[in-house]
This record gives sequence, structure tokens and C-alpha cells, in this order.
Amino acid sequence: MKKLLAIVSAALMLVSCGSVPEQKHTRTLFCMDTYMTLTAYGDKADEALRSACDAMEILDEEWSVTNPNSEIYAANHAEGKTVPISEETEHIIKFAKEISQQTDGALDITIFPVLQLWGFTTDNYRVPDDSEIQKLLESVDCSKIIADNGSLKLPSDMMLDLGSVAKGYAAKAAADVLKMNGIKSAILDLGGNIQTIGLKPDGSEWNIGIRDPGADGIVGTVSVEDRSVVTSGGYERFFTQDGVTYHHILDPKTGKPANNGFASVTIIGEDGVNCDALSTSLFIMGPDKAEEYWKQQGGFDYIGITDSGELILTKSIADSFKLDSDHMGVKMTFVE
Amino acid sequence: MIRSQKFWAAVCAVIFAGSLIWCIVLLTMKPGDTVTITQDGKTLYTIDLSKEPDRTIEITYEGRKNIIEIKGGRVHILEADCPDKVCVNTGWLTAGIPIVCLPNKLVIEYADNDTGLDAVAG
Amino acid sequence: MDLKKLTRLAMLTAFALIIFTIELQLPALAPIPGMKLGLANIVTVYAVYSFNAGETASLVIIRVLLGSLIAGNLMAMAYSLGGAMLCLLGMLFLRKVIDKKHIWVCSVLGAVLHNVGQTIVAIVLMQTKTVIFYLPFLLVSGCVAGALTGMAAQLVVNRLNK
Repeated sequence: MKKLLAIVSAALMLVSCGSVPEQKHTRTLFCMDTYMTLTAYGDKADEALRSACDAMEILDEEWSVTNPNSEIYAANHAEGKTVPISEETEHIIKFAKEISQQTDGALDITIFPVLQLWGFTTDNYRVPDDSEIQKLLESVDCSKIIADNGSLKLPSDMMLDLGSVAKGYAAKAAADVLKMNGIKSAILDLGGNIQTIGLKPDGSEWNIGIRDPGADGIVGTVSVEDRSVVTSGGYERFFTQDGVTYHHILDPKTGKPANNGFASVTIIGEDGVNCDALSTSLFIMGPDKAEEYWKQQGGFDYIGITDSGELILTKSIADSFKLDSDHMGVKMTFVE
Repeated sequence: MIRSQKFWAAVCAVIFAGSLIWCIVLLTMKPGDTVTITQDGKTLYTIDLSKEPDRTIEITYEGRKNIIEIKGGRVHILEADCPDKVCVNTGWLTAGIPIVCLPNKLVIEYADNDTGLDAVAG
Repeated sequence: MDLKKLTRLAMLTAFALIIFTIELQLPALAPIPGMKLGLANIVTVYAVYSFNAGETASLVIIRVLLGSLIAGNLMAMAYSLGGAMLCLLGMLFLRKVIDKKHIWVCSVLGAVLHNVGQTIVAIVLMQTKTVIFYLPFLLVSGCVAGALTGMAAQLVVNRLNK
């Protein structure tokens, strides 16, 4: 009996002395029209996550196009008058204008009226006439926005929507809050917009699946440390009429769903805001212009999936990318 | 042939202690988020509890029913018309112990380490 | 087989069934399928140390078959039978090496084998390895229950077979 007790107690000690993994905390919230899951590790993670959620909710309130109390709503309904804006809003609008310039207008935060015309904002989808589109396109030009010194001025016929950059900014803001609270390991999933902090608690890299734009499941995984992984694809929101599928990523040049060869584009980079904006931009550009842009600007990696299912990826991410077993044999082109 | 009575008693003790440790390991395991519902070896549902809204799932097997309830990120069998009701009495699913309904060949368990993915971009 | 032996076996089977039926009425110990005290095993263990292999086997098989009918749970019969057969084989071997003063040890090991047998049948029938998670819990309870029923059987064997 003594022996038995000894064995049991020894075993119990072994079990209890095993390395205790860092505590995992998860919070979920519905914000910026998507479902977000934030996971962070560490003793103080719960508090930190709460602050991160608060930060994103504030941004959501400032930037919502439907909330009458938001800064963007105020600007959209100011009939050309100047409205006061917060520092973040000024920052993100300046950034969006810069990207728009860099990408030769592939991304434009004033495309909102055209988006409304197609019904993507209300789910009352319809295919508008070319003349209708052309008329609205005249008032799509984000270079006409003036955001400076805490105020925003928008021409009366224009409307602003930060949808293409807001989630990236929110992810970055949340990550900054977590880091400030001493979090060394976290992963934020903002409706498929992924931001990682550091490495996993076990010291390995985060494995992020890249969604298959043509079917359920993933085409492959990228392993990253302290990176943002953001995908834009036509599958996110679309409708079908007369056998033609129309998705919500509109090309500011045509006012129609971008149809330049990409089914989805994933950007992997350090800056979440940049990744979010570039995923939309490169998607609109199509393979050739995207490659050209990357060679000019650099500073990020991308994985593009073409309409025919081929993969185009930057050489520098190739080592971290693993093709899913169901997609073995898919044609892969490396950009360098 | 070992005829030492002490040897056989020791075998008992080792099995008992081993099982006890095994139990403790199972009971202290940390659950993931993904739960699979399997019947007769076939996976019927794969559910991410962290994203699943509260709802009930009804599963019929050879005319017998199990009603599974998902509530607040947890899952249990709410009702069953199998004879023994062990599955209902098991309560909420924990990491180490799956919920099993032997008569209806139903298993609810946490998927082991999911797919190895931490998130999916898209 | 002489009439006296046959009568004794029949009596024992009936006795085991009565214990089994009474235990059915008791509430479940824990929400783990297959976990129970198994009081009817007192009779099985007694038989192992008092009759030959064939006689004991027939007792056990009839007990399990009739027991499942009484319980009205034919699904459970497969599990019980699987467990009971492995348990019986093990104990018939162990009775050669474990003396009558240590019957409880034989009973514990029998219970362990019973749990293993149950689990194997469940894995085959349900086509999932998941049920193996129940095994440690079954084993812990099996060890305790086996020791208790074994000690009871030990008392009976040493008093009745003098």
C-alpha cells in the first residue's frame, strides 16, 4: 500500500510540475460589420484584449457610414462644409490618399456612391446602366478630399467610405494596444483579416491558411512571425444576375467589379493598414500591374490566385508557404 | 509462470496508478475550439464553438433522436431517446472526455489540434 | 455433469441475475457508459474458483444473455459479452497462479480485462477510437469495484468450499 501511494504521488508531482503553458485568452466581438476573434497569451491578456476591443469599437463609431454620430457620416452629410475629425481619422484618410496615388487610383475611398448604386451597401443588388455609373464616377476622386489639422472637407457630391482600409487600421491599433500592455504573443482575426504578434507561445510560427477563392477550404498555409496577413477576394460579397457574378470590389476606373485576372490576393507584411489597402489595390490591378507595383514599392509579400486557379507569389514568401495537399500540382509562378 | 502473489498485486497497483494518472491528464487537458460530431464513424458536423451561435441540432439514428445543444461556446446533449441517457448525464463537453451515446453510435469530441491552422485569411 | 452440480450452477446463475437486476435499479455511478459496480461478478469470481472452465463459461454466457434481455438493451449485450469473455479467459488463466487467499487480486485483473474488452468492442462497433478516452475512468472504477467484489467472492469461496 505504501508503495502504491508512493507511485501515485510521484506521478502526480510529475504531472503537476510539467511546464504550464501561458494562459490563453480569447475575446470575440462584432465590429466593423465583421465577426472578430482576438486571442492573446499571458497573465494580463484578458485586460489587454478588453482595451484592444474598446479601441476598435471607438474606430468603428468614428468611421461608420451608417451611424449618424460618426465622423464619416457627418462629413458625408455636410454638403461641402468642413467637419472636425479625430487624429486617427485624419491619419487614415491621408494614408488612403497616399495609397491611391501610389497605386494609380486602384484604391479610392470615394467609390462609395457607386457601391451604393450596385446595392452592395444595402443588399438590394442590381446591375446599373453604364450611363448611371459614368455619372457617379465623375464624383469619385479622393485627391479632392482635404483632411488637415483636425478637419475634413469633402465636395458636396462626394461620399467617403473607409471600408477598404478600416479593418487594417483597426488590426494595427488593436495590436499596438496589446503590445503596449506587454503582450508578446497574440493573433487577431478580424473577419479573415489576420494580424499576428510575435510567435506562438510554444515558440513556433503562426500558421495562417489562405482561403481557396474557388471552393471551400484553403489553397495553402503561410507561416509567419509578427506579420499581418490580409486577403481580398471577390467571393466575400457578390450577387449573380443572368448567370453573371458581380462582386463588391469595384474598379474606380470603370465603376464595375474589378475583372483583371485575380480571384484573390493575399498580402503579407509588417503593417496591417498597408496590407489591407494593398490587398484590395493589387486585386483591382490584376497580375501584371501588381507585379510591376511590387517591383517598384516592395516592402511586402503577396500571394495572388488567378481566375484560373494559378498561384503567383513573391519569391521571398515561397519558403514560408506550403501548398495544401488538395492543391498539389497547381501552377505556381514566382515573382522576384 | 509467476506464482508470486505479490507480483500480481503489484500489477494491480501499477494499473490502478497508471489509470489514475491517465485520468488526471485527460481531465486537465485544455480544450480547443473545434468540436466534431460523429455518428457511426462519419463526421456529421465540425463546429467552431468560439464562433457558433447558440442553437440546437437534432440528429436521428434508426428512428432514435439526440438533441445537441450549443450554448455560450459549450456543447452538450440536451435530450436523447436512447434507453440509458448516459450521454445526457455526461453534461457539457470537456477536453479529455468525449460525449458518447453508445446506442446511437454518436460521439461529440474536441478535434485534436484541429488542422494545425491558427487562422484563415480570406 | 451430475445433477447436483447442474442445480448448483443454475442456482448461481439465477442468483447472479437477481444481483444484476437489483443493480440495474440503482442510479448510475458516473456519466460514463459501461461504468458500474458489477456486483454480479461476485458470482463469476466464485465460479472461477469453484468450477471448471466450461461450467464457468456457460454460467457467464447465460448470465450475460439473460441479463441483457432483462435490461432490454441488446446493444449493451455486445459490450458486456466482449468484456465478460476477455475477463473470463483472463481469470481462468490467473486462477492457476493466484491462490485462494488472493482472489481479490484475480478479480481486479479480471475487471481490468473486462474494461479492456468492452472498450475494444466499442471501438469496433462505433468505428471510432474516441471511446478509448473512457478507458482510464473505467479502469479506475474497475479496480475499485473489482477489489470489492473480489473480496466478497474470496469470503464466499473460503467459507463455502471448506
